[in-house]
Amino acid sequence: MPLRSAPLPRMAGHLSFMRAQTKPIEALGAGDLAVLGVPFEDTSAPHAGQSLAARALRETSVYFGWHANPQFSHPIDIDARQVIQTDGLHEHLCDLGDLSAPTNERDSLSSLLAVAVKQIADRGACSVILGGSDPLFDAVQACFTAAQRVQLGGRYKEAPARFHIAPLSLGKSTPEAPDLPAQLEAFACWRKDERPLLVQFDLSAFETSLSGLCDQPRLGGCDLKTVAQWLSTIGQHPVSAIMLTGLNPNRPGMGVVKVGQRIMVTALLAFIYARLGFVMDPQGNPSSKDLALT
Amino acid sequence: MTEAMAMFRPPLARPGHMLFDGPLQDVSTVGQAQVGVVGMPSDWTHSSRLGTRFGPEALRKATSLLQSLRPEAGSFDPDTGRYTQPVADWLIDCGDAEVTPHDVDRTTQAIAAMTEVLTLKGAVPLALGGDHYNSFPACLGYSRGLAKRAPEARFGYIQIDGHLDFSDRLGAWGTHNHATNARRISELPNVEVSNMVWIGITGWVDGGDLALIEQQGGRVFSSADVHELGAAETVRQALAHAMKGCDELYLSIDIDAMDAGYLPGTGSIVHSGITPRQYYDLLDGLAEAPLGGLDIVEVSPPLDPSERTEFLAAEMLFRVLRQFRTQTVAAP
Repeated sequence: MPLRSAPLPRMAGHLSFMRAQTKPIEALGAGDLAVLGVPFEDTSAPHAGQSLAARALRETSVYFGWHANPQFSHPIDIDARQVIQTDGLHEHLCDLGDLSAPTNERDSLSSLLAVAVKQIADRGACSVILGGSDPLFDAVQACFTAAQRVQLGGRYKEAPARFHIAPLSLGKSTPEAPDLPAQLEAFACWRKDERPLLVQFDLSAFETSLSGLCDQPRLGGCDLKTVAQWLSTIGQHPVSAIMLTGLNPNRPGMGVVKVGQRIMVTALLAFIYARLGFVMDPQGNPSSKDLALT
Repeated sequence: MTEAMAMFRPPLARPGHMLFDGPLQDVSTVGQAQVGVVGMPSDWTHSSRLGTRFGPEALRKATSLLQSLRPEAGSFDPDTGRYTQPVADWLIDCGDAEVTPHDVDRTTQAIAAMTEVLTLKGAVPLALGGDHYNSFPACLGYSRGLAKRAPEARFGYIQIDGHLDFSDRLGAWGTHNHATNARRISELPNVEVSNMVWIGITGWVDGGDLALIEQQGGRVFSSADVHELGAAETVRQALAHAMKGCDELYLSIDIDAMDAGYLPGTGSIVHSGITPRQYYDLLDGLAEAPLGGLDIVEVSPPLDPSERTEFLAAEMLFRVLRQFRTQTVAAP
């Protein structure tokens, strides 16, 4: 069901993630996905502009707000030839807005973030945190007892409760397994269902040639398909919070190139759809092979 | 008068650039089987990120620079494995159509008038966008010219694109914009949807539009299909479908089918799109097709400070126009 009766140009209207409804935390229900922006400028980062990430991710997400726009019929993932279910998406996806800390203080923002994530989790919802830097994720982790943490990209840190996928190796040999099925199996063994699950999704998970907007370039990173498959797998678990880090839309000279935010949001869709339990149309449309001329 | 002044013959250099450094001539002077270039510097029919109105100039500059780096005599062409030499007088640049911002009808008719004359004279119109809407007026003129030159002739249509552009209308933009160009082309009298093929479609597409295309016999190859089938096989199947019962091919090249990691300077980017090598292989295959007209669109220089987008697009033109600009010669 569309949220409006009239089509809205992409750049117009109130900006929310995927054109989702806005809600106060008190109105969240179990199973909801609550989007939360963290426009924090990490002044120790190599480039200025990290604080623009939350807005950039929302801007590019509007492209996927089909459920809120009556000018389109249902979307189809053309690569998989599968119908994408969008009805009901807005009932569980909502945008809470941004956190803001006076004078950009990390400690203040960490406290605010911890309070917000705790309140969201207490209502059985999942926080989808846009932007922020690595250390802020520690504040998220501190909200939960014995939480397990999955990390896509980002800096490698040895810890038993942390599962790394394509981490930055920082000069040491990479700990990642060579093939995806083995990694997925390793993840299934590592995961303890009784413990809260947190996810850090850093742009550096991607191969740098696919996105030049990461503060930490990553040669030999993952392609979109691999990251989407991981997020789809992770999304089938009751994740308490996912945080998107590493995007700097203001990399010098690259401000107009929006490939970083686009590739992150495209991959995040796999998580959102898996988390909400949306199934693809099992019948689908005829495949390309069915239509092929011989 | 000094000797130096008496020797002066202005202009010393032609201002601006022409496509492939070709001559600037009126459409009426085009010869049969020549390529006639029409610029379409218009981007106000795009719904999000603008800048393609600077596309024609960027393509002219990039092709001229790359042209200057190519051999002027016979040489080995590593792309085809043949010895070739450049053809003289294969192209004229007719300048830009008169664009009237915010008047879609006037702009449409101005572009169509130029491509119609070129087609009527037996030339191949090559239109430079501009956003993808402008593909419709370019093809409209081609269709009109073809109907006058060969009333019974039919044309097939191939669109390489990240998107279908087959919507009937797009929200606030109505029926004539960069999401409806293929739909408007499908309504022309000398083309059928069953002879229309899309290559490189990526990500989410409108389910209603896709169903309409396939119910009417059109064919869609996603970027995943290109990865799986390979570019050469994709082109073989695409041409077989598009040319059934047709005499000529109209080719619309939207550069945004290429993955945005390689080519960010376009308004509607896609990820997991086709790679530069796959795109060039597609165009190498289409270079042998009976091209009646073509366009290249969505080059937006302001969106790519590295300028690599316009050079990737220029190389696309070198590939697809091979049959016009070179001829095979015997190896020395």
